[in-house]
Amino acid sequence: MTKRFWRQGEPFVWATGLALSLILFLTLLLFYVVMANGLAVFWPKKVALATLQDGRSLLGEIVQEEIIPHTDKKRLQFKIGNRDLYGFDFKWVDASEITSLTYPKDVHVLERQEYGNFYGYLSEFEVKGIAPPVSGSNSLAQTIAALEDRKVEVHLLGKKIANLNRRVELIDHHLAKARYNKEENTPALAAMQGEKQGLKTEFEALVSILSEKSAALATNQAIFTDANGRTKAVALPNIVRAYQPNNMSFFAKCTYYLERLRELLFDEPRESNTEGGLFPAIFGTVMLIFLMSILSFPLGVLAGIYLREYAKDGWLVKMVRIAVNNLAGIPSIVYGIFGLGFFVYGIGGGIDQLFFPERLPAPTFGTGGILWTSLTLGLLTVPVVIVATEEALGSIPPGIREGSQALAATKLQTLTRILLPMASPGILTGFILAMARAAGEVAPLMITGVVKLAPALPLDGVFPFLHLDRKFMHLGFHIYDIGFQSPNVEAAKPMVYVTTLLLILIVLAMTSTAIHLRNKMRQRHSVADV
Amino acid sequence: MSTPDTAIIRIENPQVEVENLNLYYGSSQALKDLTFGIPGQQVTALIGPSGCGKSTLIRCINRMNDLVDGLRIEGAITINGENINDPGLDVIELRRKVGMVFQKWNPFPKSIYENIVYGLRIAGIQDKAVLDEAAEKCLKRAALWDEVKDRLHQSAMGLSGGQMQRLCIARAIAVSPEIILMDEPCSALDPRSTGRIEDLIRELRGEYTIIIVTHNMQQAARISDYTAYMYLGELIEYGPTQRLFTMPEKKETEDYITGRFG
Amino acid sequence: MPKLDKQFIKKVRRQDRFATRAITVGGLLVIASVIAILVLIVRVTLPLFQPAGAEISHRLTVKSGTAPVLAVGMDDTQEVGFTLDTTGLFSFYDLASGKPFFTAPASTRKATVQSVESNKNNVFALLWEDNSVTVSQVDFRLLYDDSGLRTVQPEISQLGDYPPRSYPAPVKSMMVRSHEGRLTQVALLADNRFQIDHEVATTNILGDEKKEAFSFLLNEELPGPITAFTLDEQGSALFAGTGAGSLLRWDLGENESAERTDNVVAVAGDKPVTALAMVFGDISVAVGGADGSLATWSQIWTGEGDDRVRRLRKTHTLTSHQAPVERIIPSRRSKSLVSLGADGKTHFDHMTSEKHLLNLDPALTMAGISGQGNGLIGLDSKNTLTVWNVDSPHPEISLKTLFGKVWYESYDKPEYVWQSSSASDDFEPKLSLVPLLFGTIKGTLYAMIFAVPLAIFGAVYTSQFSTAGFKKTVKPVVEIMASIPSVVIGFLIALWLAPIVEKAILAVILGVLLLPLIFVTIMAVLRPFYKTPTLQNFCSGHEFLLLVPVIFLAGALAMGIAPFVEQLLFAGDFKQWLYNDLGLRYDQRNCIIIAFGLGIAVIPIIFSITEDAISNIPPSLTAASLALGASRWQTIWRVVLPSASPGIFAAIMIGFGRAVGETMIVLMATGNTPILDWSIFNGMRTLSANIAVEP
Repeated sequence: MTKRFWRQGEPFVWATGLALSLILFLTLLLFYVVMANGLAVFWPKKVALATLQDGRSLLGEIVQEEIIPHTDKKRLQFKIGNRDLYGFDFKWVDASEITSLTYPKDVHVLERQEYGNFYGYLSEFEVKGIAPPVSGSNSLAQTIAALEDRKVEVHLLGKKIANLNRRVELIDHHLAKARYNKEENTPALAAMQGEKQGLKTEFEALVSILSEKSAALATNQAIFTDANGRTKAVALPNIVRAYQPNNMSFFAKCTYYLERLRELLFDEPRESNTEGGLFPAIFGTVMLIFLMSILSFPLGVLAGIYLREYAKDGWLVKMVRIAVNNLAGIPSIVYGIFGLGFFVYGIGGGIDQLFFPERLPAPTFGTGGILWTSLTLGLLTVPVVIVATEEALGSIPPGIREGSQALAATKLQTLTRILLPMASPGILTGFILAMARAAGEVAPLMITGVVKLAPALPLDGVFPFLHLDRKFMHLGFHIYDIGFQSPNVEAAKPMVYVTTLLLILIVLAMTSTAIHLRNKMRQRHSVADV
Repeated sequence: MSTPDTAIIRIENPQVEVENLNLYYGSSQALKDLTFGIPGQQVTALIGPSGCGKSTLIRCINRMNDLVDGLRIEGAITINGENINDPGLDVIELRRKVGMVFQKWNPFPKSIYENIVYGLRIAGIQDKAVLDEAAEKCLKRAALWDEVKDRLHQSAMGLSGGQMQRLCIARAIAVSPEIILMDEPCSALDPRSTGRIEDLIRELRGEYTIIIVTHNMQQAARISDYTAYMYLGELIEYGPTQRLFTMPEKKETEDYITGRFG
Repeated sequence: MPKLDKQFIKKVRRQDRFATRAITVGGLLVIASVIAILVLIVRVTLPLFQPAGAEISHRLTVKSGTAPVLAVGMDDTQEVGFTLDTTGLFSFYDLASGKPFFTAPASTRKATVQSVESNKNNVFALLWEDNSVTVSQVDFRLLYDDSGLRTVQPEISQLGDYPPRSYPAPVKSMMVRSHEGRLTQVALLADNRFQIDHEVATTNILGDEKKEAFSFLLNEELPGPITAFTLDEQGSALFAGTGAGSLLRWDLGENESAERTDNVVAVAGDKPVTALAMVFGDISVAVGGADGSLATWSQIWTGEGDDRVRRLRKTHTLTSHQAPVERIIPSRRSKSLVSLGADGKTHFDHMTSEKHLLNLDPALTMAGISGQGNGLIGLDSKNTLTVWNVDSPHPEISLKTLFGKVWYESYDKPEYVWQSSSASDDFEPKLSLVPLLFGTIKGTLYAMIFAVPLAIFGAVYTSQFSTAGFKKTVKPVVEIMASIPSVVIGFLIALWLAPIVEKAILAVILGVLLLPLIFVTIMAVLRPFYKTPTLQNFCSGHEFLLLVPVIFLAGALAMGIAPFVEQLLFAGDFKQWLYNDLGLRYDQRNCIIIAFGLGIAVIPIIFSITEDAISNIPPSLTAASLALGASRWQTIWRVVLPSASPGIFAAIMIGFGRAVGETMIVLMATGNTPILDWSIFNGMRTLSANIAVEP
């Protein structure tokens, strides 16, 4: 009996089951890690006050606990912030050194424009031009709110200056072009020079107003003390957000969470991308996928239709099929090199020579940009779309074609009225899967135009609105950049998790749509087989 | 060909006339020097063992073989005096005149209604009233109306096999062809559905010229006016059904219809 | 029946014809470009192996009546060439027109130049007859006139002027070096001795400059007459070749004396050394012999322990001349050398790749290389100056440097090394692809060891043993797994998994060992109850659920016993033990991590394709086997898997391809160190990551 049990191989069946369990376990673990870490980032954590044996105190969020290797003692990692005071954000403390651990209600956490978080107690205000705040638990929030109008004013001023700057730049380009074309002393040129002068004066005036106003604004300070009584004056306009985590109701925490979420989705990044929002990266990712789709979808479908419906079946078509399939298997990094060599240097350099010679040697299109990146990714997806289109068309029984043609339909009518509607779920599935893959692709982007921080979006309100030559930001590259290239990896980790979560959600949404579409298509086909 | 004239009768005023038709798939010859005429408004059955070229022949009549690569045709097929193998001929025009029903029903994955009016729509008819009228008429003609009138706009994929095949016949009638080609329309159907299709064919006779390929000799005997027996790409015998089944001229024909061979 | 609209039919037909043409043309275009891309990708790599070429761009005759020419040179734009003659006069020629347009003396002193030496681009040390030395530099200024036209304006500047020193015998030739405040003059005397003079400038605390002079003679017995000598850039090493083929080296680091470090035979058969020159970078010395041999030598560490010393060894042998090598002119841009043979042949060689780049015919007596290394100017015996435009895009790349062991400068022996760039200009690019290929194969291989069994077993279970409903759930889950961007996997394994594994490396290893052990134990325990209906009912199609606890059990057990095992077997520290006893260094981002990450990336691909392949086996085949009394595993093992093997093989190959090409995971989760080492505890650098890393 025992022998039979083993000989019949029943344990092997179970072993295959074990393999499957492991695969599923790994998948779930992966998602769990991303979810657990990503979702928790914005939830306000309690701030602990640890009093140590030597009398000193420590204020910070407890990030993790672990057993010290080769001992049985525990130690805690605190996020203590106050980088400008201490020079580091995190600190390990042996549990045995801590005499007491409390959560004081009046601890403030400040998110600042620079130097990361501040943890401390509020002691007093130094304000000018606004009513001195009444003391109370939310006096800080009130004071910051009172300054809001002036902050907005400064912000708008800054925008105006940037606008002026761009106009001057534009005039400079025109001037350079005129100089290159050997135009001299034309009235148009003089007018431009005059306009530039005017703008420059305006610019300088505005800059001095701005610096005055922001200096005035910065004199509004709040004095804080840290755990050991060291005082620190924080300029109020530098405070992005202030809250008292130990004194927050559940509802307040939810509000805070939503606010952080809003910031994430719609604001610009701060502090070398480790804080603030992801809007430019989300925008870049979406726009990249969009541009790439415009390019690869029609071309791929066209080629697929040609191969399956119009081309005469022969060795040539077979060779093309093999070539296309091979192309789909080429590593993405190779496409990246190709994009760099062919698009960026080849075509982009050529465009510069022809259309922007006055700007050389500074390249306009002859450097990485969203156009070249999307072309490269488009190339990466075209073979996939060709194969998907071919397969979808090929899976339609030939009888359907004959039926349509026997009813005196032309080839085009058969194609547009019968075949394409039938094949569309298959084509779309293939396409969406390709898009999902392209959305997560980073390696080819790195060499064809993605940057860690793009000064301007590729789409804005300045003529010609769509700037295909601009570099852009991307969620996938953002992960690589802040997770691996940033000076303070530990402090950047929460942001990496959030970015990862966002990217995974985008990709998952696309993949699920594709799977759903395919299931629908399968249902339709299975009925046809009855 | 040394076939005696008596084995292949001559039809007066045939609607479809096949003259010295040779057909090659690459290097192999599938049809060998066929010459015969098919009368109008009658049912003509093509019988013969598998691979004898029956299906190939009827697919020549609406040039369905155009879709096949590496196929070469010599000789002529004339319909109403017009050679359809003429390269200048408009295939679309031809197919409008010559409808076809296939062995495996092939309704489009659309509603029943859209299946019927497909041929009209692609011919540019948009008028809803005309389409509705045509749909009803054709479905009635195909004896399908009562079964589907309540679900005209549901998917045709929900019909049974026999219903789908009748839908395909109705679809073919909708463009008012002169000739309907049927390539073993009942081979995949149960006897009951087969019966209904045979009834339908009998009813359509007189209005359309029907050319039907069948494996089933009883069926040929039941529904056709003329029968042609083919073997290995050659036409062995052709004549009125009655005569062919009762007193075949050729030994091969007799062997086949009595079931000694085939 | 409705009437047909003739107009409409016509339109439809027109549209159809148009669409046919448009789709054919468009489709062909797309396909053509797709294939063109394939071709282009292949073509991009070909120029790397393109042979070098040279074209004569200019030819002119030197002004008649000039004194014998001692040196020639030209500017970077290859528009102006010049000669330096024995009167110390620089004569500049416009190469395009061949006309002389400017002359300037190296020194105002009217004397005769005895010899000239050049160790930098367009810098010349002139030894006058009175034993004084002038170091002159030729500069070229680019001037643009109003119309934007460029002209090249030569200028002579004096870098140094050194008065004659006293010598016990006539000076044959001399070399001067000035480095960090020390002036070194090495003079070869007619009595076959070297006199070495140092002048050291030191600045004391008060800022006063003080000069100290040292002078001594090398009075040693030499193996034959000195036929050639050279100095390195810093004036700290003197190389000399003798008439008997010996190559000598003295260390001039000390001010008061010189130590002879080497005496080797560089030219065989007692033939003299005829030419010596330092290769760009000052590490290797090129030696040309009377037998036409050309080789480079450099100091290599030899011996063991305290006896480790640096000795001259021949590192590269270059293509030989048919006649004695008269002169070697190193490029100041790369490790290329130009050598002139007595038979009038000019060779252009690259040291690292030992590639023979060019072989020019005209009998040159003098030659110079442009600063960019892409131009060669030469003077023949008929006083004709010829300029070649040299096109040698990648002299350092050959099949040998890419795939073979190469003896790089400062290495003890020939090795496979990848190091494509460094901070300094005179760096020797080390372009062996072997470490990268090795890294790729290593990472992929370990990943496949992890992924292939899991994916194939999982696919077998899903398609053959699980329920239909479950199958419908698993496939999308696996597809979703396939869509996880690799940058996410890379980030997670590098920043989340790697630190965990580093802390619990022993637990991980134990877990991998324990899992099958526990599995087998549970199987044995389960066996008696196996046929009971409850288990049968529950299990069929759900075995994998029952096994989830096994994974957790193995994990927990491994974690639990790891500290004890570490204490017991590895003296409390596994990593230390690895290093001390096995000599393996533990990197945080190592091959285990990579195998895991790449595995996660390829498992879904292998799984999906395998599952499809197995599911496509007709059920009748399985049924036939089961009907013959085979168990379900026997059916799978003997019938299904063999039939599906082509598909499974394809799955493995496609997974392999993906793993090879995967970039981000490897880039993020390895140290990207190009090393040759099979250890799973350290990293590697793969080809794909290399592309992303290199600028």
